[in-house]
Amino acid sequence: MSGAADHIGRIRTGLRAQLRVIGALTLRELGTRFGRDNLGYLWLFVEPALLGGAIGAMHHLSGHGLPGGLHIAAFWVLGYIPYYLLRGVINRAPSAIAANQSLLYHRHISLFDIILARNLLEGAAVGGAMAAFVLFFGITAGEWPRAPEKMVIGMLLMLAFTHGVALLIAVGSVYTDVFDRVVHLFTYLALPATGAFFMVFWLPTELQKTALWVPTVHVFELIRDGQFGTQVPTHYDIGYVLAWIAGLNLLGMASLGRARRDLVI
Amino acid sequence: MIRLLDLHKSYKTHLGHRTVLSGLTTEFRRGEKIGILGRNGAGKTTLLRLIAGVEGPSSGRVERHMSVSWPLGFAGAMHYSISGADNARFIARIYGKPLDWTTGFVEDFSELGEYFRLPVRTYSSGMIMRLGFALSLAVDFDCYLVDEVIAVGDSRFGERCRQALAERHARSTLLLVSHQPETVRAFCSSAAVLHDGRLTRYDDLDEAIAIYRAA
Repeated sequence: MSGAADHIGRIRTGLRAQLRVIGALTLRELGTRFGRDNLGYLWLFVEPALLGGAIGAMHHLSGHGLPGGLHIAAFWVLGYIPYYLLRGVINRAPSAIAANQSLLYHRHISLFDIILARNLLEGAAVGGAMAAFVLFFGITAGEWPRAPEKMVIGMLLMLAFTHGVALLIAVGSVYTDVFDRVVHLFTYLALPATGAFFMVFWLPTELQKTALWVPTVHVFELIRDGQFGTQVPTHYDIGYVLAWIAGLNLLGMASLGRARRDLVI
Repeated sequence: MIRLLDLHKSYKTHLGHRTVLSGLTTEFRRGEKIGILGRNGAGKTTLLRLIAGVEGPSSGRVERHMSVSWPLGFAGAMHYSISGADNARFIARIYGKPLDWTTGFVEDFSELGEYFRLPVRTYSSGMIMRLGFALSLAVDFDCYLVDEVIAVGDSRFGERCRQALAERHARSTLLLVSHQPETVRAFCSSAAVLHDGRLTRYDDLDEAIAIYRAA
């Protein structure tokens, strides 16, 4: 009995220590990425605003609207920001270990802690930009989200999914430079397929089925359901996305242990 | 106590597997000051990394029954894009030490002056070494793993390191790797020789040094 209590006590102490480490890593990352004389975080707002503005202007000039009469800038910007999260997390994954190797001198900092801290920060920053733009469209265009909780869940699913992908890419980067070379190319080429800038109901039935194989398509649909509600039909299955998240993360964590052993610092 | 059990380490290289350590079994007890002598490339730094847990062994085990520092040398343990002060706060957070006390202690001990508030990448190697040593003293480990660079660095700081370690004499353990017998003599009370991937312990310092010189 006391053995079990002991065991639970040890797990609790270990968990507290790990939370402390992840907290410290996040604060440090905050300092290096967004701190002091670094204006990097401004791009979080400028880039989606430029995209939304430019495409909104093109639609205005051509006189075409979006199917279902969706607010044009809101559609593009609120699709772009979750994609921005995906791109940020995945593109930064190949350098996650190399850039932080010196931290592995501290035995209780794990590769997982390092990658998680980076991605949590990325998620918090992009989530802040998302909230700011949602407010902006609400105030300026009366385009308030019908179910904001669905947008929050969508962003969390996107973070968990890309975190899983990032773990696997980080593992790969221990063994080869290939990921560092192709990952940017990949995230650009994948853009049309991710679901950031189309809706499933726009597609012919056969293509809809194909599109719904892609887990991020579900996430974007969920976020749009949160924003536009029943104004347009949406298709998503949260269980399907969760299955992907579980698979990627379990595989990622398992292979990360192996990579740590093979890593030469 | 730290116990090494049949420790092996080899690396994959373009020329195939290169064995660095082949079957080390020994233990280091609390309060011991041990110098590990080895030629360049004998695997001294690798051994320290394995004991610290920075790298894992190819086979065998390291048991740590006391808190063990990271390997103190020129590299590692700190982040180069942030200041010495930020590094001190980071170390305080991950090791659960009070923030203000830690930054104060590190600032005093490292004697970096205004550089303490500048990014570590602007430091000289001597300054990085001082910061690293101050950070590890702030955490207060039971066992310190020291690469010879610290000891041979600038002599005034070397003297202060020796004093700081001597103050902890009874409770703290020191493992120092070096290729210079003089350094080992200055810091340690017993010695071991690392040669051909094997470690041989000697209770008598002079005996160890004589064998090291002859090898």
